[in-house]
Amino acid sequence: MEKSLYKDPGFWAMIALGLVATFGLPVWYGLFEIMQITQYVVLGVFALSLAYIWGFGGILSFGQSAFFGLGGYVFAVAAINMGDTTVPLILSFAIPALFGAGLGYFMFYGRLSDVYLGVVTLVVTLIFWKLINHTAGPEYAIGAARLGGFNGIPSIPILNVPGDADADLMPGAMFQVFMVILMVVYVGLRLINASDFGRVSVSIRENETRASLLGYDVRRHKVVVFALGSGIAGLAGAMWATYQTFIDPNAFSLEMSAKALIWVMAGGVGTLAGPLVAVIALQWLSLKLGEINLINNFVILGTILILLVLVLPKGLLPSLQMWIERLVTMMRRQRDGEQVMRVRPDPALAPRRDDRGASPTPAE
Amino acid sequence: MAKDYSVIRTRGLTMRFGGVTAVDHVDFELRDGELRCLLGPNGAGKSTFFKCLTGQLDPTEGTVEFAGRRIEGMNTHEIVNLGIGIKTQVPNLFDGLTAYENVRLAARRRHLARMAGEQAERMLERCGVSALAAREVGLLSHGQRQLVELAMVLAAEPSLVLLDEPAAGMTGEERDRLARLVREIAETASVIVVEHDMQFIREIARKVTVFHRGAVFAEAPVNEIMADPRVQEIYLGKSADVAA
Repeated sequence: MEKSLYKDPGFWAMIALGLVATFGLPVWYGLFEIMQITQYVVLGVFALSLAYIWGFGGILSFGQSAFFGLGGYVFAVAAINMGDTTVPLILSFAIPALFGAGLGYFMFYGRLSDVYLGVVTLVVTLIFWKLINHTAGPEYAIGAARLGGFNGIPSIPILNVPGDADADLMPGAMFQVFMVILMVVYVGLRLINASDFGRVSVSIRENETRASLLGYDVRRHKVVVFALGSGIAGLAGAMWATYQTFIDPNAFSLEMSAKALIWVMAGGVGTLAGPLVAVIALQWLSLKLGEINLINNFVILGTILILLVLVLPKGLLPSLQMWIERLVTMMRRQRDGEQVMRVRPDPALAPRRDDRGASPTPAE
Repeated sequence: MAKDYSVIRTRGLTMRFGGVTAVDHVDFELRDGELRCLLGPNGAGKSTFFKCLTGQLDPTEGTVEFAGRRIEGMNTHEIVNLGIGIKTQVPNLFDGLTAYENVRLAARRRHLARMAGEQAERMLERCGVSALAAREVGLLSHGQRQLVELAMVLAAEPSLVLLDEPAAGMTGEERDRLARLVREIAETASVIVVEHDMQFIREIARKVTVFHRGAVFAEAPVNEIMADPRVQEIYLGKSADVAA
């Protein structure tokens, strides 16, 4: 009766698509395109972090960029000091996750309502943004890494082969590593959502009171979900930092948080694949509109988003699923109707009521 | 059969919301294995009393003991894990999930994964809603939702079952099934039922506690309560003479 993840064709389709993209795209596309697609992959991981906590944990964070930026800065500082990028990549997940756990503890154990939760996450982002902007002086350095204030941190090491700091990854290889990270995050989240832990998360999203009346510790559960989402956002921040070899306070900006919200909303809250589709579609659109340069692309993007919310309030993917289901149902009905018509006997030839008084139905 | 020790006991339990006293110094005791009905007009404090017992509200004053242990001030999930199950006044379900998934989530607190699935199927069957197992509960009728919620409560095998208006919105057939079920539950657990349906109360109850303005107004066997003109007056909102 329970839907098994392994029987979900969508899950396997996403894995197949991921594998094809990982090994096919570097062959089919040139360096510029691969660099562009790598950006979508990084932002895809970032979108998944919010898609998970909002869509499956019911936690609407207006400040997901706080963890994105934190992860980016942690990676930058650690990589500059260590040289090798393997441990910094792990730290870029662990430290934002720990920070998320701490912040989540105060928010969820303090019984903050959803509105205040949104405000707190937003304010935390602004504090980070303000704080990092004021670290321009030479005294703001951690080891060999100067924080650089509004100028940011330049010359962040490119991802290298683990254990060999001099073996920097080429853009094609970096794209493939990022694709693997994206797939691991996607599959990991799908596995979590299919587990008992994931079912409890969904139950809390659906009805917090009932979940606690069943004996589940809602606050602890939410802290874990929030921390995991924070860690994933931090990892995306590190990917962003090494991809650009640069990070500045804009990583903490409200624009980044708003983008994550838009991707999840447009792709469909409660799905993981939807926000990935939205990242690619909206970032590509943004790029193309920038190239055309007819009118301000924010105006066009804004209009598209308003239309999306009005026409597809559930988001792209859930709406698409709904349409396909309707189409399949309609086709089945049509086919069944034709079959009934085909087997329906001519009333003149219909068998008479038998001796026992049973009257066969036309379909028989 | 009720035993001679209390499963739950409150002393001076009081819940105030600003200037309004919803529960007013309630001394209440339920013997182990007893089935008790709580009666009272709307706003008498019955549901607030239930919320105080399950930690959904922290009482302003007084104590609550469950199986000899003080539980006031504890978190809801901790109290529930001690063995209290509650069916709330308005069915509290996970609307986006199926009936089976709802009950399985409840069973999972007590059972391993595979056993939880079997327990969920058993409880749906017991409550007469196994045919609805694959349906999303958000699409069910009020009466069906009540039964699914009851299956959830039973799936966790609580030693004290609190049922807040379980017969509301049910058809005659569903109500009869529920009355049988409540009597069955009372054979293995202690039960408190808040209900307005007099016929239903007569079918299940032996002893009734009447709440009025947040306090215990009367406590007696069901027939005595039904015949008490004071109860008729507060419950029906008219004088005993008229009621007679």
